[in-house]
Amino acid sequence: MQFFLGKRTFLIVLFGALLLMPSLANEYHIFIANLVMLYIILALGLNMLIGFAGQLAFANAAMYGIGAYGAGLLMKHFAWPYWAAAPGGMLIAMAAGTLLALPALRMSGIYLALTTLAFAQFVWWLMTHWTSVTFGAGGFIPPPIDFSPIPVTQEIGIYYLTWVAAILLYLAAKNTMASSIGRAFVAIRDGEVAAESLGINLLRYKALAFAISGFYAGTAGALYGGMLGFVGPESFDLLQMILHKAAVVIGGLGSIIGSVIGGVLLTVSVEITKELKWSIEMAFGALLMLFVLFQPTGLVTFIKRWVPGWREHLQYLPEREAQRSIDVEASVEDVGITSTDESAQERRP
Amino acid sequence: MKMFRKSVFRLSVIALTTALFSGSAVADVQTQGISDNEIRIGAFGPFGGPVYLYGKLVMNGVAAVFDEVNEAGGVHGRKLTLVREDDNCKPEGSIAAVKKLAYSEKVFAIVGGACSNATLASVPELEKSGMPMVINSAVADAISTPVKKNIYTTQLTSSIESRAQLDYALNKGAKKIAVVRMTDAWAMARYNPLMAYAKKKGVNFIANLELQIDAPDATPQALKLKAAGADAIIFILYAKPAAVMMRDALKLGYNPEWIGETAINDFAAFQKQVGIPGALKNFATITAIAYQPTDPEMKSWATRLKKLFPNDELSTFNLNGIGSAQVMVEALTNAGRDLTRDKFLSAMGNIKDFESDAYAGKITCDHPRSHQCNQTPGWLALRDGKIVRLD
Amino acid sequence: MEMFSYLMATGISTGALYALVALGLVVVYKATSVVNFAHGEMFMLGGFLAFTFHVMLGWQYMVSLVLAVVGSFVLGIGVDRVAFRPLMQRQTLVSVLLCMVGLSFFLKGLARHLWGGKGDYLTFPPLVSPEPMQFGGIMIMSQQLVVLVACGIVMAVFMVFFKLTRAGRFMQATADNPKAARLVGLRVDRVYMMTFGVGAAVAGAAGVLMAPLTLLYPDMGFMLFIKGFAAAVLGGLTSIPGALLGGFLIGIIEQMAAGYIHTGLQEVAAFIIIMVVMIFRPTGLLGGSRRRKV
Repeated sequence: MQFFLGKRTFLIVLFGALLLMPSLANEYHIFIANLVMLYIILALGLNMLIGFAGQLAFANAAMYGIGAYGAGLLMKHFAWPYWAAAPGGMLIAMAAGTLLALPALRMSGIYLALTTLAFAQFVWWLMTHWTSVTFGAGGFIPPPIDFSPIPVTQEIGIYYLTWVAAILLYLAAKNTMASSIGRAFVAIRDGEVAAESLGINLLRYKALAFAISGFYAGTAGALYGGMLGFVGPESFDLLQMILHKAAVVIGGLGSIIGSVIGGVLLTVSVEITKELKWSIEMAFGALLMLFVLFQPTGLVTFIKRWVPGWREHLQYLPEREAQRSIDVEASVEDVGITSTDESAQERRP
Repeated sequence: MKMFRKSVFRLSVIALTTALFSGSAVADVQTQGISDNEIRIGAFGPFGGPVYLYGKLVMNGVAAVFDEVNEAGGVHGRKLTLVREDDNCKPEGSIAAVKKLAYSEKVFAIVGGACSNATLASVPELEKSGMPMVINSAVADAISTPVKKNIYTTQLTSSIESRAQLDYALNKGAKKIAVVRMTDAWAMARYNPLMAYAKKKGVNFIANLELQIDAPDATPQALKLKAAGADAIIFILYAKPAAVMMRDALKLGYNPEWIGETAINDFAAFQKQVGIPGALKNFATITAIAYQPTDPEMKSWATRLKKLFPNDELSTFNLNGIGSAQVMVEALTNAGRDLTRDKFLSAMGNIKDFESDAYAGKITCDHPRSHQCNQTPGWLALRDGKIVRLD
Repeated sequence: MEMFSYLMATGISTGALYALVALGLVVVYKATSVVNFAHGEMFMLGGFLAFTFHVMLGWQYMVSLVLAVVGSFVLGIGVDRVAFRPLMQRQTLVSVLLCMVGLSFFLKGLARHLWGGKGDYLTFPPLVSPEPMQFGGIMIMSQQLVVLVACGIVMAVFMVFFKLTRAGRFMQATADNPKAARLVGLRVDRVYMMTFGVGAAVAGAAGVLMAPLTLLYPDMGFMLFIKGFAAAVLGGLTSIPGALLGGFLIGIIEQMAAGYIHTGLQEVAAFIIIMVVMIFRPTGLLGGSRRRKV
């Protein structure tokens, strides 16, 4: 029984269905399925940064954009073929992401959130104003992608490429978070000073976290540019950032499988909203609030409670964190010692 | 594990093979969306976000026309159904909307397209699907030029307007012309043709300034314009930043010729927005629409719109929708009861001197030379406190 | 010289607006350690409420103003009840922030749904006649003076409130040390509720005052939130005088940059300021040094 309901089955069914989509569904559904895979990749990267390493960053949509622009511009300005331009875009996004590690060393919480937000808006401003390079607000059409010798159209080719990328990136994320890197991230998230005292180099691991999320977002971006056949600044705005955050929250912070669920559910929710002709702003605003208020640890915890076979290491437990942030300020002042002992507090089931 | 890998491999082979050999469905797309008593027409544009006026409100105008036509029995006995899709003003949104309308909703034709970038991004998809498209809001020239078999536009395109603006300034005898513009895709679609035309005419702008759509203040721009001594200012701005610009210039006692475009066509509202009495003395703007929402000729439309959408007031955006929908209905009628895509497209191409209730000029689609059916910019200005047409 | 004085004057008056927004943000932050992402929407809804009362229903100007401020106060309490209190106990910063963000989008969509069909940007009549006035050789909009004066009044009221009233002192105490405040018997949740209410009321008042100058549209909230946040950060998120100073500085810097360097900078100046301040002096100009949490 466990085998049939577990994580592995879910993944097989999901990726199997995605594999078969182009032969069974109409073009519109194929487009949506491609989006699902992109959001899975984006949610994986963002979750590793926010959920595992605890760095509250708002620049993911900007990294997404840098990946798309990087790949597209390398093709357009320098006539690179896609198989070279895409990795180029990915690496540029990764480098840009790593730069954000510098402010992350100096601040955390709301300060970091808003600095990365300012950075993201600045990147957007560059996209619209650096006309000589980025073609400005009108965006640009990258040259068509040739998949020869495989006889597929650009659409189908990108679709399967995304499929392969999503699987590889999922496996990479799972394994990385299960390794010592993952443990270091969680240590940093749960207590920087304690982590440092254990010998974890903050700069190295924060930079790594930002680099990884930049790489994931950049990969998604390079694939996105190929999928749309068009790259323009409005695709990478604050609404996009909210969608990424929503995917991570809905699925579950600090859970790799949660990111997969989040990516799927996010795309499905957007489609449902459009179908009902509701305002995306109202629907997603409300959805985000409802999840945060009633199921903050994501659907994954709900699933884990009821369905066997979904265990994971290092799932994010926010209760601990919340008590700490509100009470420790007082304890440090009053008592003069650092207190991380929450065993006196009642654990929620 | 071996079994697993084998089955994955087999699945992949099957999938890849079928994907390679499956073409799009060969069902008869010529009569897609038509049934005995219904024609399904799609529309896409933003429902939300700052530019929802160009999407939702324009679609409401289209809906009003369909309502009127259906009341009278439809087109050759077929009622018109409007299927709306939200594109969020984004390229991925428009591409998704076109795909959805073409392959899932299976509509007959589409009237819409609001954001220039987004609509432009969807053009390859439109061409691939062969879906007949009538653009009614987006202004970028590249969408309809060079001519594409299935894409027509009834909106004044940005190059038509930009040229008209510069001509107006030159006709007024201006020697020092300046430009104040936004920097988004909409503005760039107007700015580039303006610069090209200025070069052709040998005009150098004495000042070329940026102003953001949500700027609460334009004092730096006003000071620079006054210092440069410009005698005519060309706006590439939406109504709100234009109002801010004029207000701040008037504050400095500076009031040259101000030249607007179709984004600033609700004169009465604009006057209120600028707020300073007598501010619009030297202001003229282009309109694609013949009338103001409060004109008596628009009363029946105002009533109908109120009936369908009680929360709204008739606005110029609705009128854009009304005009384009009437053009589409005309083509549908001319194509006859035996309706197909090709017949509709050729009827569109043959539209000549069609007078809608809304547009300032007559609509002529000059197939195959041009699919830009609206070439007549109307000019509005204030004379003795009344809004008049200058042309 | 004329250019400089005009830029300065406009900078000060837009700065007063940013200062008012920043004030609301800082008051809430000091008490609750939360930056209210939906703060801009309080501002926006205050303006729309006034529009509904005065323009749509035809009520008297001052009455509409007062009612709009009261309405914003109630809205602020609503935000506390719905988005903050349930999260305070259990959740992390990420969750609270995301909840606020969700709320901001929801309110924006709601405003668009309710008032959007009325047209492009809605106009709201100013408090006094709209003719520009002469003031020491330069012309300013009379409404800008109104905003400046109102800003001064609000600041003064706040000083009095915090220093002299019991409620104000409760708020200060809770901001300093919530645990100790609870121990001493202060109803901390009540205080938080008041804080949100007061913050929102300030925003609502600012919205009504600014509406004649900025015009009313559903997206105005975010722009002001960002500028207000930049001001608060520049001045120091924990300092009320800092919020005011930051507001004026941002207003002036924006104008000067646009006037002397490039008009395109008007849009991005606030973001550059945020980044620069964060890198070189994260506590802002007047904020205290931050304790490092362990």
